[in-house]
Amino acid sequence: MDSAKQADESKKGHEKPRSAKDRFGGAIFVVGSLLVALVAEFLLPRLIEDSSVRNILMTICCNAVVALSLNVINGMAGQFSIGHAGFMALGAYTAALIVSAMHTSFGGGTLPPTSFDHDYLVAFGHSFAIVPVALLAGALVAALFGLLVGLPSLRLRGDYLAIVTLGFAEILRLSVATTRLGNDETVGEAVHAIGGPNGFFGPVFHVGSVFLSSLGGKKGYSGPDGAGVPLYAGPFWVIFITALVALVAWRLKFSGWGRALRALREDEIASEAVGVDPTRYKVTSFVISAFGGGLAGALYAIMRDGNPVVQPDSFTFQTSFDAITMVIIGGSGSVTGAILGAVFVTVTVKLIELVQHADVVQNLSSSLEAHGFSLDLNALRMMIYAGVIIALMVLRPEGVFGEREPFFKKRMRTREGAPA
Amino acid sequence: MNGILAPLVTGIAQGSMIALIALGYSMVYGVLKLINFAHSEIFMMGSFFGLFALQHFAGLNPVLATALAMILAMFGTSLLGITVERFAYRPLRGRGKSSLLRITPLVTALGASVFLQNLAQLLFTARQRPYPRLFAQTRPLIFATAVVVMIALELVVKRTWFGKAMRALSTNEEAARLMGIRTSRVIGITFAIGSSLAALGAILYCLDQGDAYPTMGVGIGTRAFVAAVLGGIGSIPGAMLGGLLLGVLGELVKFSGFEGSVDIPVFIVLIAVLLVRPAGLLGSTRAEKV
Amino acid sequence: MRIAHPTRALRTKTGTPLLSIEGLEVHYGGIRALKGISLSIDQGEIVSVIGANGAGKTTTLKTISRLLPITAGTIRYDDRDLGAMSTEEVVEAGISLVPEGRAIFPNLTVRENLELGAFHHKHRQTMAETMEDVTKLFPRLGERLGQDGGTLSGGEQQMLAIGRALMARPSLLLLDEPSLGIAPKLAQQIFAAIRTIAEAGMTILLVEQNTRLALSVSRRAYVLRTGEVSLEGDAKDLAKNEEIQKAYLGGV
Repeated sequence: MDSAKQADESKKGHEKPRSAKDRFGGAIFVVGSLLVALVAEFLLPRLIEDSSVRNILMTICCNAVVALSLNVINGMAGQFSIGHAGFMALGAYTAALIVSAMHTSFGGGTLPPTSFDHDYLVAFGHSFAIVPVALLAGALVAALFGLLVGLPSLRLRGDYLAIVTLGFAEILRLSVATTRLGNDETVGEAVHAIGGPNGFFGPVFHVGSVFLSSLGGKKGYSGPDGAGVPLYAGPFWVIFITALVALVAWRLKFSGWGRALRALREDEIASEAVGVDPTRYKVTSFVISAFGGGLAGALYAIMRDGNPVVQPDSFTFQTSFDAITMVIIGGSGSVTGAILGAVFVTVTVKLIELVQHADVVQNLSSSLEAHGFSLDLNALRMMIYAGVIIALMVLRPEGVFGEREPFFKKRMRTREGAPA
Repeated sequence: MNGILAPLVTGIAQGSMIALIALGYSMVYGVLKLINFAHSEIFMMGSFFGLFALQHFAGLNPVLATALAMILAMFGTSLLGITVERFAYRPLRGRGKSSLLRITPLVTALGASVFLQNLAQLLFTARQRPYPRLFAQTRPLIFATAVVVMIALELVVKRTWFGKAMRALSTNEEAARLMGIRTSRVIGITFAIGSSLAALGAILYCLDQGDAYPTMGVGIGTRAFVAAVLGGIGSIPGAMLGGLLLGVLGELVKFSGFEGSVDIPVFIVLIAVLLVRPAGLLGSTRAEKV
Repeated sequence: MRIAHPTRALRTKTGTPLLSIEGLEVHYGGIRALKGISLSIDQGEIVSVIGANGAGKTTTLKTISRLLPITAGTIRYDDRDLGAMSTEEVVEAGISLVPEGRAIFPNLTVRENLELGAFHHKHRQTMAETMEDVTKLFPRLGERLGQDGGTLSGGEQQMLAIGRALMARPSLLLLDEPSLGIAPKLAQQIFAAIRTIAEAGMTILLVEQNTRLALSVSRRAYVLRTGEVSLEGDAKDLAKNEEIQKAYLGGV
């Protein structure tokens, strides 16, 4: 940290003429990641033939977006949101609905997965129309809900956000999982009933129920015809979007806005005195975070080699907790840390899944179950994570990397550890 | 008239149980200014402790068995509550409140909650375990327990040295220490009382509604927290009022024929109350110290 | 006014100071707030610490009460090392601090506030006696025993804070800015009460910005400047000291 301080002091002040590298860095990065993503789109399926391995890579990307977006509110703004899964769910369902609808209007049919023929290229072309719309819609819906949830709770004591986001995510999931009307009524029919003999409010609520019911309840949403959500986002989209999000997160952190946020986190009253409106900043960062969560969920719902069914069970509290783990283990406020945290958590989750299905474990598990215990490795993993997080908070509350950006020379432009 | 009376009575019974759990949140928030996320897991553990005790006392008179189970479960959860406080919260105290450190207690609280829930998953498996049907009517038991607990708690808080120390600690920790109050001890006892109330609530809940399972704390815990916030977190009468309101509201929603989960209107009410009266119905309106 | 504690006797022999601070250094928020101060108080003495804002006066009192960690130096009180004690133990040993800004418990009644002062001994009869003394000293409190502390005026709250500290039956009373933000008339009353307490034999360490008031009740005084003792001596001499007059008494 000492060298960082020296570097800061040598800069003399915050605003310094930006070097060519600073100015064009973003553009170079975007072009570079476009190229990498394009190459990956065509090479990845050939290099890695096992789709479950490709799935791990794609999931890492999605989780990086999850961690980066959660990092905005939990790390940079220092507020505690624990319902990120709720925003992911909003993004996922929205994107799945839109992709399904657009896919139908483009003629439907099954997507050719990896054979590079004419059909594949047509589908790839279509994805340029479909994927951006679906991702943006998912992110915007999540951001809207973020505003609705954040505005009342962030005006108040900071810890209300925690419980409100937790409740919000759970209720959202339960609403989708438990609403099954069991008839074939469509949303359109329900809308027509508004203002009919049953009055106004009853039918309006009923439209909501019919819509929720159309999402498939606990079994999940698998496209309009039940054949699965068309997975349009190949490696190109997943990698490119992840890179874009990383760039935005980096820029946010080192922008004036990011500095104001940090100042706010250090001392709310002092920041208020110099004209920073705490509520506005907190709500904005929460909405940005929700937007990113929605984007991640959307990506997750339509990524190739992923699950073609969007299920409420993918967005339980455990999902939110995993996201928190990614941010905290890496170091709250660190962009690089969030990405590394995402890699770590994704890999351990997938490893556990693999080990859990091994014969040895299965046998041990059933013999333990005879004694009334269970060998749920995922529960064991969660327990260990929780233990590690508590220990980390007690011993090293700033996380593994703190706010630093390992592997990068660029440092924070604000002084750290200044006396209050 | 008869139609609406039934849900009202059910609602008050439900609300009394919610209130018992809400008290734990509110008391701990009062002394530590911390949302004790692990409280819902202590509730869950309480229902398991109670279940095991009831199975053990299966041959006894049901009232006696229930009373013994309650005492044992309360003892067990008290120990658990004190342990959680000792390992997850106490090491963080006295660290100051600047920068990132502000959310660390919330993180460890959440960690403790996840830890306990998954521990239960491993120890007790995920399956739902039915409670014995000991009473044809559980409501008299619920009402009686709730009334006794509320009166006892009111007496403890208003009349005893511990109660005064707890209230002093809630308003000003430094001043409380200057009175010679050993704050760690008061905090420990507060956790013990809150946790044992959760065990009481848990046993009543399970006798009334059925099963014990590792994730049961999530839904009921959240509802109890909402009750605590609704009434004014940190306020003991507030927790009681919030619990009762929530119980009645839930039953009225069911009565009205709402198709979705009861939690949806409950959540909307929470948001509405936070917007209009951030400190809750009975909470102190004094500005929080930052 | 009964001030001696019924069960706790002081070990200090006459002639040795009740409290002595040697080379005390304290860091506060990354700043060296005290840079090695030394001071002492004999039993039955009233000593004041004066100085400008940020000189370290409050830090000194908070450190004696062990609310702040010590970087270097020693604090000895009644033959004991305070450095090894917690705030609660310091209170039990007989040192009560009336903190700056009063810090009463606003949502507890005046009576409950006073009772909490006796928390560490919980001795029924002592409590009743002291309550009687305190209400005699501050009749306003006696009239308002059932009211919430938060409903009192600033001056009354200061009285409550002093009364609450007396309830502990301390051997050493630490007062932090008792006149701060209080109407002059009430401040006079409070200082009259402090004099009464002192005359009963209480040892008092008084921190005060109102130098004139402070010197008028004290026997000796220390002047703190940016964490160091810059002057010390008899209160009467200091009141005549030109430097003090210029800096703290508005000059003549």
